[in-house]
Amino acid sequence: MITRRTTLALLASVALPLRAAADAPLFEADVAAGNLPPMASRLPDNPRVMDLPAMKRQTGRQGGTIRTLVGGQRDIRLVPLYSYSRLVGYDENRALQPDILAAIEADENRVYTLHLRKGHRWSDGNPFTAADFQYAWDDVINNPDLYRGGPPVDLQSGGATCSFEVIDDLTVRYTFAAPSPDFLPKLAAPLPLMLFMPQVYMRGFHATYQTPEKLAELIEVNRVDDWQGLHQKMSRTNRPENPDLPTLEAWRPRTPPPSEQFVFERNPYFHRVDQTGTQLPYVDRMVLDVASADIIAAKTATGESDLQVVGVDFPDYTLMKQAEKLHPLHVSLWRRTQGSSVSLLPNLNCTDDVWRGLFQDVRMRRALSVAINREELNKVIYFGLARESADTVLPESPLFRPEYASAWSNYDPDMANALLDELGLTDRESGNIRKLPDGRQAGIVVETAGESSLETDVLELIRDHMREVGLAIYIRASQRDIFRSRALAGDVQMSVWQGLDNGVPTADMAPDGLAPTSPDQLQWPLWGSWYSSVETAGAPPDLDAAQELVRLLGQWRQSTTTAVRTQIWHQMLALRADQVFTIGTINASHQPVVRSSRLRNVPEDGLFGFVPTSFFGAYAPDTFFYDEA
Amino acid sequence: MIRYVFLRVLTMIPTLVLISILVFAIIELPPGDYFESYIAELRVLGEEADLAEIEVLRQRYGFDQSAVMRYFWWAGGMLTGDFGYSFEFRLPVSEVVGDRLWLTVLLSTVTILFTWALAFPIGIYSATHQYSWGDYGLTFLGLVGIAVPNFMLALVMMYFANEWFGVSIGGLMDREFLNESMSWAKFTSILSHIWIPVVIIGTAGTAGMVRRLRANLLDELQKQYVTTARAKGLHPRKVLTKYPLRMALNFFISDIGSILPTMISGAEVTAIVLSLETTGPMLIRALQSQDMYLAGSFLMFLAFLTVIGVLISDIALTLLDPRIRFAGGNTR
Repeated sequence: MITRRTTLALLASVALPLRAAADAPLFEADVAAGNLPPMASRLPDNPRVMDLPAMKRQTGRQGGTIRTLVGGQRDIRLVPLYSYSRLVGYDENRALQPDILAAIEADENRVYTLHLRKGHRWSDGNPFTAADFQYAWDDVINNPDLYRGGPPVDLQSGGATCSFEVIDDLTVRYTFAAPSPDFLPKLAAPLPLMLFMPQVYMRGFHATYQTPEKLAELIEVNRVDDWQGLHQKMSRTNRPENPDLPTLEAWRPRTPPPSEQFVFERNPYFHRVDQTGTQLPYVDRMVLDVASADIIAAKTATGESDLQVVGVDFPDYTLMKQAEKLHPLHVSLWRRTQGSSVSLLPNLNCTDDVWRGLFQDVRMRRALSVAINREELNKVIYFGLARESADTVLPESPLFRPEYASAWSNYDPDMANALLDELGLTDRESGNIRKLPDGRQAGIVVETAGESSLETDVLELIRDHMREVGLAIYIRASQRDIFRSRALAGDVQMSVWQGLDNGVPTADMAPDGLAPTSPDQLQWPLWGSWYSSVETAGAPPDLDAAQELVRLLGQWRQSTTTAVRTQIWHQMLALRADQVFTIGTINASHQPVVRSSRLRNVPEDGLFGFVPTSFFGAYAPDTFFYDEA
Repeated sequence: MIRYVFLRVLTMIPTLVLISILVFAIIELPPGDYFESYIAELRVLGEEADLAEIEVLRQRYGFDQSAVMRYFWWAGGMLTGDFGYSFEFRLPVSEVVGDRLWLTVLLSTVTILFTWALAFPIGIYSATHQYSWGDYGLTFLGLVGIAVPNFMLALVMMYFANEWFGVSIGGLMDREFLNESMSWAKFTSILSHIWIPVVIIGTAGTAGMVRRLRANLLDELQKQYVTTARAKGLHPRKVLTKYPLRMALNFFISDIGSILPTMISGAEVTAIVLSLETTGPMLIRALQSQDMYLAGSFLMFLAFLTVIGVLISDIALTLLDPRIRFAGGNTR
């Protein structure tokens, strides 16, 4: 896609029919009172125009509130994902488009020149300019007090950090020493690489710009330890807990935590308009109600949510279909993009020496994988509608090959038994469960994040499958936050999680999900931590195949053509299929998307996942609107 | 009397110390510790937590010291009003609990009043009309109330409340009032929701109370002074209320000890099923997520209330019932 030199579409040149469009009714009073400038001066000179007819969507009208239910306060992180305002972002066909940027130039995958929109403003009305990039670069990323490990690994290539220069007020340039093909996908990620900050606001919390007395006072008021903690707390965007922090997203937070209800209101300075010049988002407010995770589906089915996908699983589909008759709801089925809907992740870094030795042996992982009867899982849990597959890419991806999906994923208990015998687990105790070499029972504690009954149902079936090959499975429900830290500490033997985050990649998206790159990868959290912390935390991979994956990823990062990247992707996928680092079960399962039947422009059919589509993000929820009827 | 109260207060101190040691031990039992979960939380959101920061946290929360030191550190913090930090909410514990407290107290108070209002007449009726159809019928209903699990009743009632009355599922008020300050509209919204949890939590309590009142009253009604009073031709109502009922009421007072902590914690399981904005679900969730400062402080608070409640009921009983007062005086 991006070869020697590419310039992504310059939307700036599109003639704008701004004249006719009226301002949002929500702001009429403020504009009349002079508290807010009129719409024309709030928009950038060249806003991003969403050509709805070209997207096969309807042109909408402003107003209304989208109510949605979340399982806990931390789920307000969903709003920046749905809003999906990024420097560049994916559209619904998973092609990169400039979003906050007017245009971007990529020379040799090395020199990236970012062009901002003239007149673009933060939600507090301050201009969004190169100074915001400058602040983030000089005072945050390169401030050893804030980034103690130095600039993040994503800004490094060829062993050196990229260089940054301000060309003019609206143009900045990042120059890497070696090719850095991952730069744009990182900017388009659900949790994007941070390159800019609202400097006018953030200077107030920075030791370089703020007086020590005022800083001490703010630290006291905000109950943090030091100014670094203060700066971090005030600048959090992933979980927007600070209503005062200026934003470029479609909706800005209005509720400080703790609360049972979080209100997000339209950003008066949002940079997108529809083709008639009406400022987006169409919907005025997003309201998130906190409810027990267990009753989200029930509440949704009584019409208490206008757009619900979190907390609604496939088993709830029948309930939702029934609710369609009673309430103004509409439910459609999307496909999940994970490499596996439910996968088992043996912790190759667990502190138990015996289990670690076993899990690091490929025969053990293969035995676990072929012991699972995937056909039964599919029929019992998914009515046979999902696909039985190893944890790998989906057929929707151009990188898919059938052999990846079928590798070590055919039910074969005899082979599993043979592999386990070969490993020396031949002694059995009562109940026909195998014994470990040290005499303990071969019982694996499998931990789940405790968020979905679906996972537990799958595990119940897998427990029976494992019993057939002489392994006992104990299920322990934990909580996501603590769960990850326990995996990192090596306390978790095996966890249940989704498979590959991005099951629908193109060769231009980085294959970092395949290699140990993040402590969130519960099969090798320490190795992932080693990579993500630039070799300062965690432990280096001591398994050849894992090292090979890291090496291949390094090659991908140096690559300059899509052909080479495709080749590397296939090498990595083949290696992973053979090594069965994660044990996939079923993928491409259906995800019910429940919406108010008055809500328009929500696609009937889509791919649902965190990367690359940022849940709804790539489907532009700012263009969703309420029909009058 | 003053001496008695003073001694009772004094015995509270070792009790509370013992409880705090127990709570702390429970906190320490699970693998992993507070600050690891904090680091995990940073990581979940893609933020960096490097080793220097870990060291700062270690010192701040005293993790580099022995368990005994940490216990004193924690207990000492609570004495000075520092209840620690909730990792899940990223706020000090004292700020997290505040909003939910008064809703819990409201719910519990209404529930207790409901229980009393229902149990009292039924208990008296059952005792005075022993082995009648009414007694059997009400006893049967009461036993059903005890036997049906609260969460089950909650699910069933939630369904019918929604089906028949259009009350939104779960919660203590309509969602548009959540962040509003108190108003008449909000109050009526709460009233329209609160009866569901009140009835659910109340049924089991009512049934238990009916049984106890009936048993106590029956004991008294068979005593000779009642027979004498009846023989003298005293009005039946006066016979009932003048002495037997008063004697049968002691357990109402001794219940105060357990009422106070339930006022704050609410009925956890029911509250979770109904997704109530009370403190019960928060406590359970804190325990689940090993958000240990929140959980630990919560448990300590409940323990403190229990101890206070027992103290109050003891004092009230001695004031109310001369028999207890004199018996206490004799042994001392």
